[in-house]
Amino acid sequence: MLDFRRLLAGLALLGVTASAALAQPQPQPQPLRIGVIEPQTGPVAFDGTSVIRGARLAAEEINRAGGVLGRPLELVTADGACRPADSVAAAERLITAEKVSVLMGAFCSGATQAVMPIAERNRMPLVTAVSSLPALTQAGNRWFFRNAETDAMIAAAFARGLVEQTKTKTVAFLAVNDDWGRGTVASFRSVFDKLNVTTSLSEFFDHSASDFYTPLTRIRSARPDLVIVVAETQAAGTLVRQARELRLPSKIFGVGAWTTPTFLNLVGPAANGLLAGVPYAATAPGERNATFVREFRAAHNEDPGKYSAAGYTTMNIIAQAIQRAGSTDSAAIQGALEQTDYAGPTGNLRFDAKHQIYGLQLHVVEIENGKPEVRGTATLEQND
Amino acid sequence: MLVSDFLQFALNGVVTGCFYALTALGLSLVFGLMNIVNFAHGAFFVLGGMLASLATERLGLPLWAAIPAVLMVMWGVGAVIEAGLLARMRDAHILPVTLVTIGLSVFLVNTMLMLFGTEPKNVRTGLEGPPVFLGDVIISQSRILAIGISVLAIIATWLLISRTRAGRAMRAVFQQPEAAALAGIPIARVHRFTFALGTTLAGLAGILLGAVFVVDPSRAEPAAVKAFVVIILGGIGSLPGAVLGGILLGLAESLWGGFVSTGYMDAVGFVLVIAILLFRPSGLLGAPASRVG
Repeated sequence: MLDFRRLLAGLALLGVTASAALAQPQPQPQPLRIGVIEPQTGPVAFDGTSVIRGARLAAEEINRAGGVLGRPLELVTADGACRPADSVAAAERLITAEKVSVLMGAFCSGATQAVMPIAERNRMPLVTAVSSLPALTQAGNRWFFRNAETDAMIAAAFARGLVEQTKTKTVAFLAVNDDWGRGTVASFRSVFDKLNVTTSLSEFFDHSASDFYTPLTRIRSARPDLVIVVAETQAAGTLVRQARELRLPSKIFGVGAWTTPTFLNLVGPAANGLLAGVPYAATAPGERNATFVREFRAAHNEDPGKYSAAGYTTMNIIAQAIQRAGSTDSAAIQGALEQTDYAGPTGNLRFDAKHQIYGLQLHVVEIENGKPEVRGTATLEQND
Repeated sequence: MLVSDFLQFALNGVVTGCFYALTALGLSLVFGLMNIVNFAHGAFFVLGGMLASLATERLGLPLWAAIPAVLMVMWGVGAVIEAGLLARMRDAHILPVTLVTIGLSVFLVNTMLMLFGTEPKNVRTGLEGPPVFLGDVIISQSRILAIGISVLAIIATWLLISRTRAGRAMRAVFQQPEAAALAGIPIARVHRFTFALGTTLAGLAGILLGAVFVVDPSRAEPAAVKAFVVIILGGIGSLPGAVLGGILLGLAESLWGGFVSTGYMDAVGFVLVIAILLFRPSGLLGAPASRVG
């Protein structure tokens, strides 16, 4: 009796093992890993996280449609904190330990600049969705691509129209004290100088600043027709509210993420009447954009902002390049990136010889009843 | 430059100075009494603002109810951290304790990032009305409230330490722990009380920050750095020094920014510290051996 039971138990065990072996699924295709270096802590953490949200949405859509080269995309994110040292460490880790095929990042121009030589040394394609310092694409690094407008391009696209529309004679600048802020101010000034518009003041503030009464008081005394503010969401929200508290009479034109729901929530009714030049507006026309906004809303219950759109288009550009390359060979991907021709929510995008994107749609929006209404659209043409 | 501009800059400086003073007060208290260099102070500061934003924006509490509720939570947080973490290290060297507070800060900031996200947040004051005009000088209602509450909190802290039994016990423990213990003062309770008080003061400053500006986890580090500047300026361990240092730093930054250049406002504090340390190595009001009171 005992033996019979043992036999039964043995058979049962055998059966379990056999069925487990049969149930073993087909070997999953290895995921294709993309390294994403964005600030997830520090003063631009919110904007960095928005880039990742957009990139993730793109990857999910691509994976639903069967992935790239039959393999699913896997995002490996790393926190570069907007700091060169952290971003370099993240890049080294993603390349050597995580074995990613392409890098995306690293948000702040200074951080991206530090990662670029790492990408070159490791022959690793690097695509930025945000960094706008003109010098980045002037460096002649063939592994680096920029899917973002530069300060000079924004200035060229907006400055003349702004002066004509608002009949501006004097301007003041209020900008964050970094490469982006100073670069944007310099680019605008060079256009304004040609148009004989006087720059009465240029004020700079620190990334972590929260009180803008001092520079705003100086600007109020100077009484310019137009104030151009270069600031990210966190600072811009506080700054605009304080400008309204101080009853700054000048028209405000904002450069940065000025149409994000977070910004509009923070500022509330004080945002009405603001002008902003944005490379992306959720309310922009076009079927491709409408689809993106719908998908994003379904995932996050809010409209996408500039940075989510940039993350989304960048991930699509990377995925299409790998598909075109037909392999994960980095030289093949680099070559395929140069052939980029992607019609997305921000326009019909291609890279020029210096790997600078063009075809991007820029919008002038005015905030009206808490919603960014598109007042004008310009397409960034290929430089020179 | 007009007189009204000068007054506006000075007023801006006083508002910022009140924040600095309030933040530094708690830090100075904990350092002076417990000899703990608390790098988690900035995280407590942000936590106060975050909780107040939660209470006013999400739960819809009015500010007058939210402030005491948040302060009670902050007191609890401070007491639990002291009991669970710092009490075990009371006799340890200052360096390991400092390392623990740095770790605590990293932990708290990242926990807040996880719970509340990176989004900057407001504390709803119900004071969104028009600003008050004093001639050409403008001050918003929420700033008046912030100054008022800061001054009250500073006076209350001073009264607590100089006029109450608890305050006397705190000073006694600091001056002579052994003698205080022999006199029957419960050292452990005094430490817990002091740390909870420091945490609560940081939380209050965070609430007011959220009411006037916005608050998000990335504010923790700059807030802690500024608070250290202030207590070095004012004299380590000196509570009037922390208040004076705070107001002075606020005014110096604002006037420098107003009349010279806004680009280097944050550098002013450090230049001031270097200057003060050259001429008065123990700070403006610090005695050569630091003291409290």
